[in-house]
Amino acid sequence: MSKVRYPAKYSALGLIKHGLMKGDWPQVWRHHELKPSYDVVIVGAGVHGLATAYYLAKNHGITNVAILDKGYVGGGGSGRNTSIVRSNYLTPEGVRFYDRSVKLYEGLSADLNFNIMFSQMGHLTLAHNDSSLRTMRWRAEVNKLEGIDSDVIGPDEIKKLVPYMDTSENTRYPIVGALYHPPGGTVRHDAVNWGYARGADIRGCEIHQQTEVQSIETADGRVVAVDTNRGRIATRTVVNCTAGWASLINVMVGLKMPLVTHPLQAAVTEPVKKFLNAVVVSGSLHVYVSQTDRGELVFGASTDPYASYSMRGSLEFTEELAGHVLELMPGIAKMRLLRQWAGLCDMTPDFSPIMGITPVEGFLVDIGWGTYGFKAGPVSGESMAQLIATGTTPENIKAFDLARFPEGRLVGEKGAAAVGH
Amino acid sequence: MIQVPCPWCGPRNSMEFRAVGESKSRPDVATTTPEQWRQYLYTKSNLADWVTETWYHRAGCRRYFAVERHTVTNDIRESRLPAAQLRQKEGSGS
Amino acid sequence: MSSAAATGRRLDPQAGEVIDRGSPLSFRWDGKAHTGFEGDTIVSALMASGVDVFSRSFKYKRPRGVLSATFHDPGCTVQVGDEPNVRAAHRRLAAGMDVSPENVWPSLKFDVRAANQLVGRFLSAGFYYKTFMKPQRLWPAYQKILGRFAAGGVTAADAEHGYYDKRYIHVDVCVAGGGPAGMAAAVAAARSGASVLLVDEEYHLGGHLRYGGEAELAALAELRAEVAAQKSIEVMTNAAVTGRYDMNWIAVVQRQPGISVRGRSIHERLCKVRAGALVVAAGLIERPYVFEGNDLPGVMLSTAVRRLVNLHAARPGDKAVVFTANADGDACAQDLRRIGVGVTVVDARTGGNIVSAKGGKRLKSVDLADGRSVDCDLLVTAVGWTAATPLLNMAGDRPVYDPTPARFFPTDRLPATVVVAGALAGDGSTAELIAHGTAVGATAAARAGHGSEVPVPALARVAHPELYRSTTHGFVDYSEDVSSKDMFAAKKEGYDSIELVKRYTTVTMGPSQGKLESVNAVAIMAEAHGVTDLNEIGTTVWRPPYVPITLGALGGRGFENTRFSPMQSWHEQHNAKPLVAGDWIRPEHYGDAAAEVAKVRDKVGIIDVTPLGKLDLRGPDVPKLLNLLYVNKWSKLAIGAVRYGVMCAEDGVVMDDGVTGRLAEDRYIMTTTSSGAATVWEWAESWLQTEHPDWQVHVTPVTTGYASMNVAGPKSRELIGRVVEGVDLSNDAFPYMHVRTATVAGVADCFMWRIGFTGELSYEIHVPAAYGLHVWEALFDAGSDLGVGAFGVEAQRIMRLEKGHFIVGQDTDGLTLGFGADLGWCIKLDKDDFAGKPELVLQSQRENYQRLVGLQPVDPTIVPAEASQIVEGAKKIVGRVTSSRMSPTLRRSICLGFVEPHLATPGTVVTCQLPDGRRVQLKVIEGLAHFDPAGARMKV
Repeated sequence: MSKVRYPAKYSALGLIKHGLMKGDWPQVWRHHELKPSYDVVIVGAGVHGLATAYYLAKNHGITNVAILDKGYVGGGGSGRNTSIVRSNYLTPEGVRFYDRSVKLYEGLSADLNFNIMFSQMGHLTLAHNDSSLRTMRWRAEVNKLEGIDSDVIGPDEIKKLVPYMDTSENTRYPIVGALYHPPGGTVRHDAVNWGYARGADIRGCEIHQQTEVQSIETADGRVVAVDTNRGRIATRTVVNCTAGWASLINVMVGLKMPLVTHPLQAAVTEPVKKFLNAVVVSGSLHVYVSQTDRGELVFGASTDPYASYSMRGSLEFTEELAGHVLELMPGIAKMRLLRQWAGLCDMTPDFSPIMGITPVEGFLVDIGWGTYGFKAGPVSGESMAQLIATGTTPENIKAFDLARFPEGRLVGEKGAAAVGH
Repeated sequence: MIQVPCPWCGPRNSMEFRAVGESKSRPDVATTTPEQWRQYLYTKSNLADWVTETWYHRAGCRRYFAVERHTVTNDIRESRLPAAQLRQKEGSGS
Repeated sequence: MSSAAATGRRLDPQAGEVIDRGSPLSFRWDGKAHTGFEGDTIVSALMASGVDVFSRSFKYKRPRGVLSATFHDPGCTVQVGDEPNVRAAHRRLAAGMDVSPENVWPSLKFDVRAANQLVGRFLSAGFYYKTFMKPQRLWPAYQKILGRFAAGGVTAADAEHGYYDKRYIHVDVCVAGGGPAGMAAAVAAARSGASVLLVDEEYHLGGHLRYGGEAELAALAELRAEVAAQKSIEVMTNAAVTGRYDMNWIAVVQRQPGISVRGRSIHERLCKVRAGALVVAAGLIERPYVFEGNDLPGVMLSTAVRRLVNLHAARPGDKAVVFTANADGDACAQDLRRIGVGVTVVDARTGGNIVSAKGGKRLKSVDLADGRSVDCDLLVTAVGWTAATPLLNMAGDRPVYDPTPARFFPTDRLPATVVVAGALAGDGSTAELIAHGTAVGATAAARAGHGSEVPVPALARVAHPELYRSTTHGFVDYSEDVSSKDMFAAKKEGYDSIELVKRYTTVTMGPSQGKLESVNAVAIMAEAHGVTDLNEIGTTVWRPPYVPITLGALGGRGFENTRFSPMQSWHEQHNAKPLVAGDWIRPEHYGDAAAEVAKVRDKVGIIDVTPLGKLDLRGPDVPKLLNLLYVNKWSKLAIGAVRYGVMCAEDGVVMDDGVTGRLAEDRYIMTTTSSGAATVWEWAESWLQTEHPDWQVHVTPVTTGYASMNVAGPKSRELIGRVVEGVDLSNDAFPYMHVRTATVAGVADCFMWRIGFTGELSYEIHVPAAYGLHVWEALFDAGSDLGVGAFGVEAQRIMRLEKGHFIVGQDTDGLTLGFGADLGWCIKLDKDDFAGKPELVLQSQRENYQRLVGLQPVDPTIVPAEASQIVEGAKKIVGRVTSSRMSPTLRRSICLGFVEPHLATPGTVVTCQLPDGRRVQLKVIEGLAHFDPAGARMKV
C-alpha cells in the first residue's frame, strides 16, 4: 500500500487557514498532455474507472495509467444516480461483493481525505403482498448468514422509522412488511468521483477529460492501441468502464455482449425541512426515495420500457413516480418536483455485471452495471485493479465473467428479480 | 412520450405498447448448438443507430409488428408486419 | 411597520393596475394581521404594507427581499398553511391566508444563524467535502447540524392531500408564452384554421406590455380583443408549459384553475398536450447583476419595480439609484419619478457602474464606480436578459451566445414542429414583435397542417453592453448562496467546466433552476478562464420541468387497476379478509382458514377462482400451438378431456402452468396462473404472429368473461348434482381430468371440469360472468344441508401444499429450469420443438441443479418461515424452504423446498436455519405430496 502526501490536506484546520489567508486550494486533479503510451488505458472517468485507477496506483503501484472520458469526470451514471449504498442482495456472492463495497465506503472519507458524506440512515425495501414479503425474507436470511445487518420488520416498526408512511391496511398497495437494512444509506456521488480522481491524480494517474475513444487497434487478437480525438495511445491493456455506452466501445474490438441500454430517470423535489430519515424502496411501485441533508427528496424508478441512448426525461416517468410516492406518503402532495434527468444503464439478463477478461486479450470489461453500478464502485475498482496487476481474476468477481452466458451459468440475482418484487 | 405508428391503428402513445426488443430470428431447434442458442437468448447488438425492433400493441389491436427506430433520437421511420408474416404473404403470392 | 407605513406604500390608482381596490382581503403574515386587495400577490400586499424581508437565505441566513417579483423570485418563497415553498411574488392573495416565512428560527427578524455570515469566509463552496472526515463516528452528529440548515418549508404526515386532476388536449398549435408575440402567433394560427392552446404563466396575457406605458397598454387591449375574437383559441393563464418531450408531447400545469369537482377545488391540474406544432414565445427573463451586496433587500430588477408599481400600485422604495443599460431601465426610472421617488441614474452605456451596495436588513447606500456613495433604499438594475430557452433545450437545441445583444439565441437544430417567436428570436418594437409572432403563428399552423407557411421577418439583434459582474464579488445564485468568489475558487481548484462548477458549488441548482442565474454563472466562468466568448464555456442543459410542479398534479387521481370478481359483494357480506393479488382483490379467508380446510376435506367447500387466467383457443391448429407452448404432448387430447401442462420460457425457466381442456373439435380452453394470464396470452400471440402466421388458431382471453368457482370435497358431486342439468356426473361418465359443458342453476353455456388442486373430488365451474353471483348463491342454497362453506385463498394454499402442488414464482424462481421443479415426468424431449427445448435438453444432461422436494420438519410443531435457508456447516447455503404451513389435516408442519442434488434423496435430513437463528431438522419425503400421494380422493 503506497502512502502519499496531498499538497494540501483537507481538514477543518485547513479550511480556517485558507479562510484567514484567503489562499487558493491546489487543483483537485491536473490537466496533462496525452502521452504516446500508457500501461493501462481506462475508458470512462466514472466511479468504476476512477476507482480502478486509484487502486491500481494505491494497492499495486501501477501509475502509468490514463483515464479517458469523452465528457467530464463523473458526468455519466456516476453523477446521475440516486447514490444509494447497500449490501442486502440475494445471493451469497452478491452479498459478499457488495458488503466489501459498503466496508470500503465506510472508510472512504478518511482514505481519500475527501468527505463523501456516507449517511447510513438505514434502508427499507417495502413489501406490499405476501410474495414480495417472502422475497424480503429470503434476502434477510441470506444476509444474516453472511453477517449482514438485515431483517424483516412489520408495519408498526416501519411507521416508527418513517412516520409519513401510510401503513394503514385498506390501501391499494398495503404495506405488509419491509426488509430493513440499517447500514444502507446514501453518499454524495460527486464527492466519491472527485475523491477517487484526486487520489488517482496525486499518485500519478492521468485524467483526460474531453478525450473520446474513436477506435481500438488490435493485432493477433490482442489490444495494441487506442485512437482518440486527441491522438493515438499505444497500450496493451484497455478497461471498458463506460456503463450505458459499453456496447459502443465493445464493438470497437468486434465484441457483442448481452447488454441493452435503457435510460433510467431520476428526479428531485424542492427542499423541505427534514422528515424522512431512511431510504425507502418499493419494488412493486417502482420507486425509491430518500431525503438529502439539503431537504430535497431524491427519487428514482425503474428503467424506461424501451432501449434508448436518449437522456431526455419523460413526463410519464414523473407521473407514475409521483402517483406511487403519494400512495406511500399521501401527506406530501403539495411538495413540488424541481428537476428530472436521466442516465443510461447497460442492463444484463441476470441483473449482474460483466467483469474481467474477454476473448480479446488485453481488453477487459467492468460493465453491465444496470441500475446498481454506483454502490459497487469501490469494490469493482479494487477487484479490477487486482485483476490487471496480477493477471488473475479475483475470487469475488469470478461469478460475473462474460463466459457465463455461452456456458449457461447465469447469476442468481435473476431469481429474486423474477419472483414478483 | 413518443408516438409509435402501429401498422393497424396508426400513431398511438408508446404507453399502449410493449417494446419486445431487437428483432431476432429463432435458430432451428433441431440443428442449433448451445452457443448459437445462447447467443440468440442473450447477445444484443445494442446499437446507437437505426435498429429493427419488435413491438406489441398491448392496449390496442394486440398485434406484433416490426419498427425501425433510432435509439438516440427515438425517431421512428417505418413500421411494418413481422418478418414471418411478410414472408408468408410473399409465399402466397398476394 | 406602522399602519401609516402600510397605507403610505400603496400608490394612487395606476393605469394598468390589476388590483381591485373595492375588494380588500385580510390575511396573516408571520402571525400578524395584514390586508391587501383582490389581485395582489402575497408579496405586493406585504410590500404595500411596508414589509421588506420575506426570507432568510439558505446557507448564510441573509435577509432577502424582492428581486424579480415573479414566480422565480428566490427570496420570496413562503409557507401558506400546510403548503410549503409557495412563490409569494406570484401567488395571488386569498382571504384568510395564513402566510409565514420559511427557513427562519426563531424568527424572521432575529436569527441566530445570521452569525453564519461572519464565518462565511470559512464556509466556502464545497467546504463540507473538506472537513468532518475524522473521526468517522462523529459524522452523523455533524450531519444533523448540517441538516438543520435545510431550506424550504414544512410538510406534515397528515397534511391534506388536496384534489388534483389531469386532462388530455389534442391541439394543432400550442403557444408557450402569452406576450405580444405569443398572442399574435395564436391569433395568426387560429386564422389559418388551427386549434390553438395559448399558455401563460402570469394571471393575464400580455407579458411585458402589462406593466408598460400608455402605448403598450393600448396595444395590449387590441391584442386581447383579437385573441378573444378567435373561438379556436383556448387561453390558459396562471399555467406553464413545464416540458416539451419527444414528438411534441407537452406538459402544461394549471395552478388553482378555479375548477371544482364534487365540491373540492382542484389545486393544480396537469394537462398533457399532443400538439402538431409548438410555438415557443417564452420571452426574456431579466438578469441580476453581480456585485457586493446584490442580495440586500431593496436591490431589485427593473422589471420587478415596474410590476410592483404598475400592476400592484406598491411603492418599492423612497429614494432610488437606477443602474441602467437599456430602455427598460430608462422606463423604470421614469415610472419611479412619476410616483415621486427620487432617482439617481447610473448609465452603463456611458461608462457608469455600481461597485457595491451597503445596508443591513434594507439597502442604505450604493457605492458608484466614479467614487460617489449615494444614500438610497432602492437600487434598480437593468443590465440585460436571459433568453428563456429551456423548452428549446428540451427540443434538442443548444442555444448559442451572441455577444452583440449579450444573450443566447436558438439555432436551426430545432425540429420543424418547434418554432420560436418574439424576443427569443430578436429585438423589436411592439409592432415588430407582433408581426414576427403573426408570421410564426401562420408557419406553425402550416406545419400542423393548416394553411401555408409565410416568410418570417427577421428581428434585429440590438447591441447591449455585456454586463455580468462589477469589480466586486456578489451572489450568482441567491437561493443557493453561491457567490462569484466561490465560483472563481472552484475553477482554480479544478472544477473548471460549467458542469463541474455547477455540481461543486451547486450554482443554478436551487428552486429557480438557473432561470435568473445561469447566464451569469457562464459569464463568471468565462471570466475565471480569461475568455471573452461565452460559447467556449457552454451552458448546462436545462431540464424539465420549466417550473416546479406539485407531486399531487403529477400523480393525479389514482387510476390503479383493481379487479373484483362478480361475487365480491357476497365476499364482503361474509367478512372476507381482502388479499391483494396483483390487480385482483381476493378473499384470503372468511375468518378461519384451518376450519375452511376441514370443511373441504370432510364435506364440501366453494372457492372463487375467477382470477384464474382463461384463454379460449379455436381452430384446427390448436394442438400445434399447445405442443409448442407446453413441455408435454398435446396431439391426442380427446374431446372432453383435460390435461395439465407446464410452460417454459426460451431459456428453459418455468414460466406458467395450468390445464387445458378440449370442449369440441376445434375449441379448447386453457387456464393459466392468475398472475400469468396476460403474459401467456401475449406469449401465445407472439408464437402465432411472429413465428407461425400460417397456423389457424384464434386466441381470445376470457378471464373476466367467466366467473369461476371450484366446488371441492367429498360431497361436491352431490351438491353439483342438485344444480347441474344434462350431465351424467357418475365417475364413469365424467371422470377425473375431464370437461363438460352444462347448464348450471339454469345458466346455459357453462363449462366445468374435474381437476384437483385441493386434492379432493372437485368440479371447477366456469359461468358467464354476469351470472356468477347467481350460480354462486344457488350453490350455497342447494348445499346448506350438506354443510357447504366458502373457502379462501389461504385454505387453498394449505391444501395444495398438503398435495405437493407447486406454485410458479413461489416454489420456482427466475432460474428454475423445468427439471429442477420435478417436472421430468412431463417434459417430452422427443418432441420436435417447443419453447425452451434446447436448454432443457442441456439440463437433462447434467446433475448440478437444485431440486424441488417435499420436506417435513422433524419436530412437527415447527413451521419454518418461507424463505428459511437450508444450510451446511456455519453458513453454506444448500437450499431453502419455498412454502410452509401447519397442515390441519395431518396435524403437522409441511414444506416444499429446494435442496442441492446430494440432499434430494428421500429420507435425507437437512438443516434449516430459522429467522430467529435456531436450527431445525427437515426430512426429505418421497415425492412432493404430503397427503394422499396416490391421488385416490380426487378420482372417486
